Amino acid sequence: MAGEALVITGVSKAFSTRDGHVQALREVDLRVERGQFVTLIGPTGCGKSTLLRIVAGLVEADTGSVSVFGEPPQAASSAKHVGFVPQSPALLPWRTVLDNVRLPFQVNRKANHDGGRRHRDPEEVLRSFGLGEALRRRPGELSGGMQQRVAIARALVFDPSVLLMDEPFSALDELTRERQRHGLLEMWQADRKTVVFVTHSVSEAVALSDVVVVMSAQPGRVSAIVPVGLPRPRGEKLETTGAFHEVEDRVRTELRGAFHVDHV
Amino acid sequence: MSEGATRSASEGATRLASEGATRLTEWASPRVWLPPLMAFGLLACGWQLYATHNPHVLPTLSQLVAQVGDHPGLFWQNLLVTLQEAVVGAACGMLAAFVLAIVMCQVRLVERALMPLAVMLNVTPIIAIAPGLVVAFGFGMTPKYIVTAVIVFFPFLINSLIGLRSADPQAHDVLRTLHASRTEILLRLRLPGSLPWLFAAARICMPLSLIGAVVAEFTAPGKASGLGSLIQTAASLSDLKTVYASVVVLAFVGIALTLVVVVLQHRVLAWQRLGTNLR
Repeated sequence: MAGEALVITGVSKAFSTRDGHVQALREVDLRVERGQFVTLIGPTGCGKSTLLRIVAGLVEADTGSVSVFGEPPQAASSAKHVGFVPQSPALLPWRTVLDNVRLPFQVNRKANHDGGRRHRDPEEVLRSFGLGEALRRRPGELSGGMQQRVAIARALVFDPSVLLMDEPFSALDELTRERQRHGLLEMWQADRKTVVFVTHSVSEAVALSDVVVVMSAQPGRVSAIVPVGLPRPRGEKLETTGAFHEVEDRVRTELRGAFHVDHV
Repeated sequence: MSEGATRSASEGATRLASEGATRLTEWASPRVWLPPLMAFGLLACGWQLYATHNPHVLPTLSQLVAQVGDHPGLFWQNLLVTLQEAVVGAACGMLAAFVLAIVMCQVRLVERALMPLAVMLNVTPIIAIAPGLVVAFGFGMTPKYIVTAVIVFFPFLINSLIGLRSADPQAHDVLRTLHASRTEILLRLRLPGSLPWLFAAARICMPLSLIGAVVAEFTAPGKASGLGSLIQTAASLSDLKTVYASVVVLAFVGIALTLVVVVLQHRVLAWQRLGTNLR
């Protein structure tokens, strides 16, 4: 599984808003190895979500280049190589849970018959996520945590090359959030997909990732890259160890630096 | 952050669109049906009292019931004509508005070009359009259909457009990362998502369609039939019993049309009632 999954070189992006010109990203370089779990963290306005949306092909960069497994983002998404999990579950409330997870098969059908893909059975994925009882229910009948798991199942059912997650647990309460975190770790451990995960939470970043990318704002850029280096598989116990807190402290220090730059 | 806000705002609107009236199941409780029943009773008593003392201004309720009972065929025949005008006209107007809304949603240029025209059609008093249509199309059903279609067109257009645009932006993002085409996004996301708005619009449009039909009949009386024509002919003969009996019949037709929409909405949008913790 060696090689680079994502190569981001010199990416800049500016938005013009009512208050003028906002430089969301300036000259961002980032490399993500295959099978790596990478977290983007930083203050509001550091462009971490914008960077994720550029990789997802939802936003185009002004300058620089992005390659997702050797292809530009648009080509990657047209071949359904990208699994996207947004901030809210964004399920379709009129469809059952199972039909929501089937949705990826029902659009852009010509990418369905891409040889060598290992499509997963929607029902099986949902069962493995502990949602076997909820197949025929509507999203409105599920708790927030369950809905978010359905959203992750929807992103995974197509066996994407890369999973992009934009603060997927930010709307959940603390306890649910922790449970979701461990559920995600377990799922990730099974097939070690390349994941780019955006979050505000330092402990979430450290618990999940191989590498934490700290970004600073105005203009948004990468200010530090912290390798986590904690053993896997990781359980709930890990978060109480000294080694975990040590990494957490390092990320916090870097973040403080990022905030400091922000105020100069 | 701002996307989350947009989303909850649109969900709020969905809920608003669905909760205009009391839910069907809640009508079992006397706390729901007793107050309106009492208000109706009071109104009926007041009417009866006033009518008994002013027989030349207002017929009594019992006279109205007797009037309908004595000439059931007359009211039934005219009711069917008015109902046909209202339903066929409204169906045409709503369908045309919905198709235009889809085109406007997909092609911004069409919206820019045609929306001012639609607004102009909306602000023109409908009663001013009717006489010209009668001259052009005669005393048949056509001018009535057109007036009714015109009156429902604008509210249905605006509601459809808002409904089609209300799609969850994050679900839209998910579909775009799958490279869904604009047509696929329309079919899978926008159309089903617009249904609550369509039903809310239909509830406004059904009573409006009755107004359209009656107004059209007012401007083309004579040989033409329908409850509007009946009212006008009866009024010119000072036959107040027929006038008010027709008004009451029209009110009941309006209630029936609205009920049909509410029951359909209840059936089709069952998923909406589960949406309480959908966030």
